[in-house]
Amino acid sequence: MSEPPTLRVDTQDPTPPYEQLRRQLVELIHSGVLRPGDRLPPLRQLAGDLGLAVGTVARTYRELETAGLVRSRRGGGTHVADQAPAPRADERRQALDRHATAYLRQARLLGADREAALDAVRRAWPADG
Amino acid sequence: MVVTVILGLLLVPLLGVALAGPSAAGEPATDHIRRTTRRWRWAGLTLGAVIAAVAAGYDPLGRGILLAAPLFGLCVLAGVVAGESRVVRPTGTARQAALETRQGRHYLPRRAFRAVLAAGAALAALLAATTAAGSADDLGRAGRVLAYDCGEITGTHGPWVGSFYSLPLTLVVGLGVLIAALAVHRLVGRPRPQAAAGDLVLDDAERRRSATAVTGACGVLLTIPLIGVSLVTAAGLLANPCRPQWCTAAAWLLLLLIPAWTVLLAWSAAAVLNPGARATRPAPVAA
Repeated sequence: MSEPPTLRVDTQDPTPPYEQLRRQLVELIHSGVLRPGDRLPPLRQLAGDLGLAVGTVARTYRELETAGLVRSRRGGGTHVADQAPAPRADERRQALDRHATAYLRQARLLGADREAALDAVRRAWPADG
Repeated sequence: MVVTVILGLLLVPLLGVALAGPSAAGEPATDHIRRTTRRWRWAGLTLGAVIAAVAAGYDPLGRGILLAAPLFGLCVLAGVVAGESRVVRPTGTARQAALETRQGRHYLPRRAFRAVLAAGAALAALLAATTAAGSADDLGRAGRVLAYDCGEITGTHGPWVGSFYSLPLTLVVGLGVLIAALAVHRLVGRPRPQAAAGDLVLDDAERRRSATAVTGACGVLLTIPLIGVSLVTAAGLLANPCRPQWCTAAAWLLLLLIPAWTVLLAWSAAAVLNPGARATRPAPVAA
């Protein structure tokens, strides 16, 4: 069995924990890691695993449900929606910016300059893409 | 009844620990979990053996012997709850959780669990029937004998598992089942440990070990009274000189089932003493 994806929360991050969780779940759904019908962890289990209040995780799930990405059924758990709406352009740009910032931080830690970092991206980018 | 309550109160230290929260740990995650859960399981087992020994010799009318095994199982279960509750919870600033759905069925031994459920159902049905059929003995103690009336001959057969025995037994077994449910809830719900490098550690083997111990403790809790009640009930039914056919059939059915309950008891005792011997099972499903 492949290892399940991991959710991370940094309590010192100025972004509220519910928003950190929401962003990660949105990306997992849009990237296809979480497929339609996949079940999300029960509220209490995820809250216990992350040491968060149940209400925090509940807010994340509620926002995902409002966005049409998941559906919750009483007693049946929370599942990824069958037809999750595609990410909005601004959401996609924001996510890309976050990942770029994280990559920039790693590149600087490795001592790479701007050109070296961009070259690495070009090398990694598929030739037919 | 008073004995049951007093002995039950001896569980308070274990349950107190269970509710007190986790202990600190500065060692490899799974080693810490294994050591902590084993230590508390054995504490429960030792306390249970002492309480069972005290209870067995307490009541000359046999209630002590009847309650000894359930009290033992109850203490083992409390030990499992305490051990699972002492496992470290996430407290750092960077926390992780696997995107998975953990459920009790992922860790409980399937066949043994079903057999224990069957034993529980059999005990409940048997106790309901014997309680309904019980009568007061010559000293007026309700639910201690089986009375029969054959027209010319009337008489009683005792001891019979009427309310005199079945009520304290139901109380202790019911409490045991509740603690077992709490134990499964704890072992499923506790977070996965994080290694020193920050990665999540798969600790399913430890959870399965605890689930096996819980199933074994429930098996001991249920099968010993079930075997005892079956023997006493069969003897009572066969003692009736004008018994109908179905009484004879029921008595033999109870006797024929005893070997099956004995096998389950043997498995349960082994599971309590050495729950790590079980084969591997599928891990929880990824979300």
